[in-house]
Amino acid sequence: MKKTKLGLILMLYASIACASLAVVYAFTKDSIERQSEIQLQSSLKDIFPQATTFELVEDLTSPEPNIKFETVYEVKSDNVPLGLAIKVSGPSYGGNATLLVGIDLHRSIAGVRIMALNDTPGLGMNASNPTYYVDKAKKVTFLGQFEGKFLTDPFEVKKDVAAITAATITSKSLTKIVKTAGDAAIAYMDQKVMMASMEGEKPAGETSIGASPAVSTGSPTGSPIGASTGTAKESAKPQAGGK
Amino acid sequence: MKKLYSVFKQGIIFDNPLLMLMIGLCSAIAVTTNVSNGIGMGMAMTFVLLFSEIIISLFRNLIPSMIRIPVFIIVIAAFTTIVDLMMKAYFPELSKSMGVFIPLIVVNCIIMGRVEAFASKQNLPSVIADALGMGLGYTWVLVGLAAIRELLGNGTFAGIQVMPASYEPILFFILPPGGFFVFSLFISFNIWLKNKMEASTRKKELVSKKEAA
Repeated sequence: MKKTKLGLILMLYASIACASLAVVYAFTKDSIERQSEIQLQSSLKDIFPQATTFELVEDLTSPEPNIKFETVYEVKSDNVPLGLAIKVSGPSYGGNATLLVGIDLHRSIAGVRIMALNDTPGLGMNASNPTYYVDKAKKVTFLGQFEGKFLTDPFEVKKDVAAITAATITSKSLTKIVKTAGDAAIAYMDQKVMMASMEGEKPAGETSIGASPAVSTGSPTGSPIGASTGTAKESAKPQAGGK
Repeated sequence: MKKLYSVFKQGIIFDNPLLMLMIGLCSAIAVTTNVSNGIGMGMAMTFVLLFSEIIISLFRNLIPSMIRIPVFIIVIAAFTTIVDLMMKAYFPELSKSMGVFIPLIVVNCIIMGRVEAFASKQNLPSVIADALGMGLGYTWVLVGLAAIRELLGNGTFAGIQVMPASYEPILFFILPPGGFFVFSLFISFNIWLKNKMEASTRKKELVSKKEAA
């Protein structure tokens, strides 16, 4: 009987705590959502300054099981496509990291921004530090080095990607997330361009795509993303197995 | 009033949670790579400590001793979550840079220790004095540690470049071993300060005794 009483008292304390947490949650929920929405919108604008509209894309999913595409946007400026922006989350050193990866029609990364990262302050968190430079002479941040980088590059940390000092796992994980999003976006865009050309339409962004050698010659490095004849799903499969 | 002041003073030097009681060290070493993180962590921790101690002290006669630990954990966890949500809503930048350490305040031994050893036995005013003293003691050590580590290891203070550009940062101080190194210097400094203060109070007592004689 006494034990039941103790249990009931404990339950009472727990319920009061839950109720007060629910109140605080309801109170701060809107503000938290607004903050992340503001952050997302400003990052999108930051990556694609000329963009006017961001259309949601539903049929692009991640080829990797542990990397998830939360939202995918087709970025347009007055109906002229500029590229894709993918909000993608994947595992990093301190749990899941969420990035916004922009891919332009030149088959390169337009920009990468961090939405959420829980790595070690002072080490892995330097990925989101705007004054932490992996290349001090040129003042390039860790994420800044991806800007303009072609997806045909190997994306290997310590080879073509400079790592954050003492945070190799963070560097590798974030690089992998960027690469996965980028490859999937390229495959998706290839598929769309193909479909558009089958319909006899000229995609508005064709001039810029044609400027990229990767389209005409397939993939110069033999990377599976160059298999532009297949559908997005087919080209995504060998990519997942190849890693 | 004098008693409250002496309780408040205890946490800053004589019973400093980090330097004398030596509890809650892991997060202290982890966040002190940057001065603003140190201040943020100190404030968040003081907030949780203050409100947990107040609640526990007010309800201390209504908590059966057999289930006191789970009740303490519920109270501490609730306040930590409140701080976490508040920071996310109103200080998103700070919340982003603190990352996982705000939720981890729950398992910070300082709060558990003070709630168990002090708040569950004392009345409200002395509990508030204790929480503020302990919080201040925690915060000054964090800020001090962070200032030295950030300055030597990164050449900056709160993100602002202060060292000349020719200065090559000593990465060792940003990494955990360097943290322990600076931390041990703080402990020795605190013990020296404590002995010095105790010696001076003893001297005063002797003088007053002599005068009385």
